[in-house]
Amino acid sequence: MFARFSMLAVVAVLASGCANTSPVLGSKNINYGDTKAVETVTNEFGSTDLQMIAESMTRSLAQSGVLRGRPVVQVYDVKNKTSEYIDTREITTSIKTQLMKTGTARFASDNTDMQSQVDQLKLQNQSGLYKKSTVSKTGNMIAAQYRLEGSISSIVKRSADYKDVFYKFSLQLIDVESGVAEWMDEKEIRKTTER
Amino acid sequence: MRHFILGALALVLLAGCATPPPPAPGSAASKIVVMGKFKGIAVGAIRVARENGFLTAKVQLSNITSSNQTMYYRFAWLGADGFPVGDEETWKVLNLYANQATFLPAIANLPQASDFRLEVKTP
Repeated sequence: MFARFSMLAVVAVLASGCANTSPVLGSKNINYGDTKAVETVTNEFGSTDLQMIAESMTRSLAQSGVLRGRPVVQVYDVKNKTSEYIDTREITTSIKTQLMKTGTARFASDNTDMQSQVDQLKLQNQSGLYKKSTVSKTGNMIAAQYRLEGSISSIVKRSADYKDVFYKFSLQLIDVESGVAEWMDEKEIRKTTER
Repeated sequence: MRHFILGALALVLLAGCATPPPPAPGSAASKIVVMGKFKGIAVGAIRVARENGFLTAKVQLSNITSSNQTMYYRFAWLGADGFPVGDEETWKVLNLYANQATFLPAIANLPQASDFRLEVKTP
């Protein structure tokens, strides 16, 4: 009786020891990392550069005091003047998202969203598919008071044992009516690789 | 006599292990969070102001060594309840030349931020 009970206890202990209590499934070589970590895998434009630019520009603009009364802003794509491929739309999207969160500005449909906006208005007003009282009327879109434009450029220098990349990101807010630049800021980043 | 020496030794060892008292609330030291190691750089005066509705901070940092130093940092912005507001900031790198003193400027992510912590780390 004692031997049978002991065997049962041993089996129970072993079984509980083998039970997988981890919420992870799959290979141990794959890990989720910190999305906010400083990334220095190569010295090309990376996630840290994008995050630093968006953070610095957003805060500088939001705190400048130019955006009084939550004006409507039209964001243009950042011009990529570097020799690298950079998805500059992601920079503008990050800036837009962060500015939106601060509550200091509203955004008009930008050049890429405009076609979808026009298509939707046409569909609602011309197709005859929708209940009249629910249709969004044409001629009520709000025009932007400011436009936000930026560019990123780089200077790359190489020697036998050195590679230096200097990025300069510039952003300016222009009053559409007057054409006057109301705010402007720059962010400079230097990345160096020693071979 | 032997007991007395052993007792004194234990007292000395215990005193050595004692943790320093926590920084006073609101003091400059209370705003600094050292993540693991932070050597060769001293944190000095901290200036906090509210400009155009956003909290701004300037933190004095001094390289107290005679060699160049690199540090990682980020600000954590807190609301009136002491909890973080908005998303976490990205970690940034700051290079300080030998014996250089500099001011680290920062602007809060949201107007709701009323306090901050500076997270610092050296490699």
